[in-house]
Amino acid sequence: MQTIQETIWEVVYAILPITVLVLVLQFTLIWLPFASLLQFLVGVVFVSIGLVLFLLGVHIGLLPVGEMIGAALPKTGKLWMILLFSFILGFSVTVAEPDVHVLSGYVDRVSEGAIGKWSLIFPVALGLGIFVSLSMARIIFKISIKWILFFSYCIVFGIALSPWVSDEFIPISFDAGGVTTGPMAVPFILAFGVGIASVIRSDEKSADGFGLVALASIGPIIAVLILGIIFGQ
Amino acid sequence: MDIKIFEGFGHVFFEVSMTLLPLILFFACFQIFMLKLPFKKVWDIAIGVIFTFLGLSFFLQGVHVGFLPVGTEIGEIVGDWTHQWLLIPIGFLLGFVATFAEPAVRVLNDEVDKVTSGYIPKKIMLYTLSIGVAISIALAMTRIIYGISLWYFIGPGYFIALTMMLFSNETFTSIAFDAGGVATGPMTVTFILAIALGFSRTLDGRNPLIDGFGMIALVALAPILSVLTLGLLFKYNEAKADG
Repeated sequence: MQTIQETIWEVVYAILPITVLVLVLQFTLIWLPFASLLQFLVGVVFVSIGLVLFLLGVHIGLLPVGEMIGAALPKTGKLWMILLFSFILGFSVTVAEPDVHVLSGYVDRVSEGAIGKWSLIFPVALGLGIFVSLSMARIIFKISIKWILFFSYCIVFGIALSPWVSDEFIPISFDAGGVTTGPMAVPFILAFGVGIASVIRSDEKSADGFGLVALASIGPIIAVLILGIIFGQ
Repeated sequence: MDIKIFEGFGHVFFEVSMTLLPLILFFACFQIFMLKLPFKKVWDIAIGVIFTFLGLSFFLQGVHVGFLPVGTEIGEIVGDWTHQWLLIPIGFLLGFVATFAEPAVRVLNDEVDKVTSGYIPKKIMLYTLSIGVAISIALAMTRIIYGISLWYFIGPGYFIALTMMLFSNETFTSIAFDAGGVATGPMTVTFILAIALGFSRTLDGRNPLIDGFGMIALVALAPILSVLTLGLLFKYNEAKADG
């Protein structure tokens, strides 16, 4: 279990260096107005407090449950149940992912509401859910990750290069693939996957917990590209 | 002076509640029908959920009142400079610093160190990754200044990655593609992206939607390419040692 102190250090390491760099740039090159500088520091404090509480909450409350559910599911012995619940879990976790909210909030703002916040979050969550399901199927049927990655990226580029996707959606879709792997989804999907893998193959090492996150970031790319086709009509 | 601290906090609270609702409902169903945990455990989980709720609210509020407006402002200030290219080295520095200290990156480095039994030391991974991400952000800024399509970066990038993958083993492939997410830490997505968006807004003929976004995509590619390259080097050396 991660202690409070460790969590605080983790957040300080992630945020302090870049804050110092911004302050150095501020007094050499950028010269923001004083009010904006204060506003930035308010942001630093809020984001830090937020991340500490968030990470603690995820570790105390959410991760153990992820693992327990992951370990309980295979015992039902029903493949469709494992796949269905993987999907629901992937979906719910993405909806709560901070980075996903930030990105879709920015898209909403920059597009002046044309691509609304929730109209991006839902497809991203759907895409992630479907691919978490696929990853579980992969673990159960022992399919090589290379082939899945290869074919998935062929599909991604096939859709992205097709004439139906409007250009505006290409950068957003690939960005969406990056933000889903944030501080919520990664530990959760790993805990869940390790829980499932530990029951299914108790004889082998849980090396197959790897690759879960890799597949998870493909689903959202495809989902947003499809959204781009719908918007392009 | 007008400093915004709690402006719109109520709205953020509401949104975060909606956000956590699916997860809570999911747990509730599982608890009732399958897990049937004792009350003490449920209590722990409830406390965890409250922490998550507060944490998420503060985080988003900080982005809303701090990082987004100020990042955008910095981008706009740089956009008015005569030497806009300065944003390229600034981006490089920001990317390097953001990755060098990122905790998730350290976890990844330990993992690679372990898998290769120390052949790829943590230090080398750390520098490779930090420079990789720094270059990605510098490239993202270059893209905005010159209006280069994202395709010229992710097309070859993924082509190289998938080709290298065919020559790598399963473990390295998994670690590499998993690592795509670790470099996109909380500062990159919130603050550096806001700078790019503000910057692309001030330039003539740039559409922030097309030119501003795409940075995270490039940052996600850096670790994939770094880990695959180091993995191939590792494999090559191992083969040489065996032969």
